[in-house]
Amino acid sequence: MNAEYVLRCLLMLCFALFSANASNWLYLAKLTSVGSIANEETCERLRGLIQRQVQICKRSIEVMDAVRRGAQLAIDECQFQFRNRRWNCSTLETMPVFGKVVTQGTREAAFVYAISAASVAFAVTRACSSGELEKCGCDRNVHGVSPEGFQWSGCSDNIAYGVAFSQSFVDVRERGKGQSSSRALMNLHNNEAGRKAILSHMRVECKCHGVSGSCEVKTCWKAMPPFRKVGNVIKEKFDGATEVEQRKVGTAKALVPRNSQFKPHTDEDLVYLEPSPDFCERDPRTPGMLGTVGRQCNRTSKAIDGCELMCCGRGFQTEEVQVVDRCSCKFHWCCYVKCKQCPKTVEMHTCR
Amino acid sequence: MAGAIIENMSTKKLVIFGVILLLFQAFSFMVGGLIAPGPTSVVHYLATKCVDTAKSHQSTKWFMPWGPNQCEKIRTFDEAMAKKIEANNIVFAVHIPLPNKEMSPWFQFILVILQFDIAFKMNNQIEDGALATVDVGLAYRDDSLSEWTEMAHSLEQRKLNCNFTTIKTYENEGRYYECDLLPFMEVGSVAHKYYLLNIRLPVHERKKVNVGIGEIKDIRLVGIHQNGGFTKVWFAMKTFLTPSILIIMIWYWRRITLMTRPPVLLEKVIFALGISMTFINIPVEWFSVGFNWTWMLLFGDIRQGIFYSMLLSFWIIFCGEHLMDQTERNRFSIYWKQVGPIVFGSFCLFIFDMCERGVQLTNPFYSIWASDVGTELAMAFIIVAGICACLYFLFLCFMVFQVFRNISGKRTSLPAMSKARRLHYEGLIFRFKFLMLVTLFCAAMTVIFFIISQVNEGHWHWGDYTVQVNSAFFTGIYGMWNLYVFAIMFLYAPSHKRYGDNQSSDPGASSGEEIQLTTTITHVDGPTEVYKMMGKDSQE
Repeated sequence: MNAEYVLRCLLMLCFALFSANASNWLYLAKLTSVGSIANEETCERLRGLIQRQVQICKRSIEVMDAVRRGAQLAIDECQFQFRNRRWNCSTLETMPVFGKVVTQGTREAAFVYAISAASVAFAVTRACSSGELEKCGCDRNVHGVSPEGFQWSGCSDNIAYGVAFSQSFVDVRERGKGQSSSRALMNLHNNEAGRKAILSHMRVECKCHGVSGSCEVKTCWKAMPPFRKVGNVIKEKFDGATEVEQRKVGTAKALVPRNSQFKPHTDEDLVYLEPSPDFCERDPRTPGMLGTVGRQCNRTSKAIDGCELMCCGRGFQTEEVQVVDRCSCKFHWCCYVKCKQCPKTVEMHTCR
Repeated sequence: MAGAIIENMSTKKLVIFGVILLLFQAFSFMVGGLIAPGPTSVVHYLATKCVDTAKSHQSTKWFMPWGPNQCEKIRTFDEAMAKKIEANNIVFAVHIPLPNKEMSPWFQFILVILQFDIAFKMNNQIEDGALATVDVGLAYRDDSLSEWTEMAHSLEQRKLNCNFTTIKTYENEGRYYECDLLPFMEVGSVAHKYYLLNIRLPVHERKKVNVGIGEIKDIRLVGIHQNGGFTKVWFAMKTFLTPSILIIMIWYWRRITLMTRPPVLLEKVIFALGISMTFINIPVEWFSVGFNWTWMLLFGDIRQGIFYSMLLSFWIIFCGEHLMDQTERNRFSIYWKQVGPIVFGSFCLFIFDMCERGVQLTNPFYSIWASDVGTELAMAFIIVAGICACLYFLFLCFMVFQVFRNISGKRTSLPAMSKARRLHYEGLIFRFKFLMLVTLFCAAMTVIFFIISQVNEGHWHWGDYTVQVNSAFFTGIYGMWNLYVFAIMFLYAPSHKRYGDNQSSDPGASSGEEIQLTTTITHVDGPTEVYKMMGKDSQE
């Protein structure tokens, strides 16, 4: 047993560890210390990227800021959508960002993958429209046989570029493994479902500008939905996600619903491989599994945010708290709020 | 001479002529569908939020969203809140076009649409009938290093028509309102390479300016311009069509002047139709590539308006001249009842257009729809024009109905008539039915293609080929009406041949009927013809 062998083993082990969690790049959102990703050396220093993502980073360095914003967006939206659930998408300061919760092929993992793929597409498209990127829709041929160029036929939609970039950057890990493992197939499917949540909810808007503004000449375009809407759509898909298993269909492997009575999932649905844990208790062996002790709950609700379910039957304690509320406020459209301070007492319920 | 070419043409020749026209028609569709790109392009812009650090906001400083000398930016307004930046210090900057691109005179126009992203907040909602007051400046430059030159500056008001589709609860805070698109800017010529928009939303609490417009998150703009490729194809088409129509027009007028009689009304109207078609065809737009003529958009509207009203008048007069009810017409004043609505309606649209695009010559941010009075005025003009159009079509339908009634009346008495008279009426009926058919065909094609282009997403794929349906619609329909005018001028030009040339005589000519042949366009020639034949008869 020589040193080279040991080294290779170590490398393999590292690879295996990382491969379980392809969403490590979300750690970019936590890298506030790195100012802006401006040169190629920064790419090497970014934690959480795999080698091929580093290559993409070097090749399209200008997009990386948008990717980082996308990562932040994904985490924010996840926390908003899960604010009333037992697992509230809480992040850790270490890698992986969500702890070990998303390393298994659960529903929660499906949601995280979908929302992060969507958020990268969203953030890159936005960066295109604000002029931060130079490539965007214009270097892609979508107009068929006519001579190309901005002057001749304009550019294609930025969303096409955003989605394509998300595909190349986010999916790169699973694509590398030859799409063999069921987990890779699940991740790929959910990534695509996340991007579909944007694409199938694009709003068509039109403007008439013919003679005297008549609709003789009408121009229509597709506008990206707000990200909150994308989050809502993916959350709905989360609620109706399909449990699947890998089976051989013909020569290729594919994911099919575990219960054959269910109708097969579509491209826009989320799929998962394993049922989720109950997230009730804190588990020191699983980072990120924080449990629901100390979480606030709603006494009147019968849903998952209600004290009954949230506290997993452990009961809750109620205390009266004095809070200073802002009231009768005056707002400007930006950056200015003048409020009175109204103290009031509220009942707060926290899980035992 | 009597009758038009179409009556004396053999069926074979007529079919050949029709096939040639159809070939040209197919060609004009193909030019648009296969060579040209889509007619317009859309570019999305997201305004960059710049911070104006200067104390006085009246400075002539321009804020660049990116590139060298870019402004001090903030990403979100939470950041501004933390840095204690006020609303009045925020400038939304948009550079047209996006980086590494240049605008070009071939784009013909730029149209910009404004959209606010307004987040819902329980205690900061959009008030009813909220107005956004926008202080906007437009500047241009022609190379990426020189200074910006101001082009226009204006304080505009836009009505926020927003609604929140979900329930207004704390749960739904952070969702966006759904707002109507706001017309923002229209520039009639693209003479410069780079444009810069600086938008401010000044807040003045006492004057109630920009108060109660909710929490604005972003400003998005949508820029629409004509594609350079489409403009080139369009110009090429116009340049090709102008001489074709011009030549047939000269030929047609020469035919008329060769006759011994003065031209009748219908002939004059057909000639006027030719003139208005040429007026549209003449490719003066070529100048817009070299000169900064912002009025080209307005001029194009006027030219189209003149052609449409000419075409509508032509249909009415054509029907009237084929009524066959023994009334003397041949005067323009007879048709005032039918032509009146056309003139009045197009005049209304002209006034409306002057109020919108006319004012935009001086202030590109002006929109008649922005103010309540303007909206009512605009609606009034459009409604009046619509009523005129309805009136016109009622008149037209009634006239066509009358013609058909007279035709079926004449049909029964045709065999009993003398040859000259029969041929005269048969000619009239044929001419009318032919034009009726062709016109209906053209109108149906226009409507069908219009609907397709409205419903369709703009291009079809056939294997490797992409067919630009919208471009095909524009070039095809434009070509079609040109061919229509061409065909009318050719087929309805006076013929050299005579009714009775081939047959020397008609023995059963009765003398009582000829006097009545004084209707329709042949009234000047008709009697002489008949008298000649009578003379022949009497000689025999």
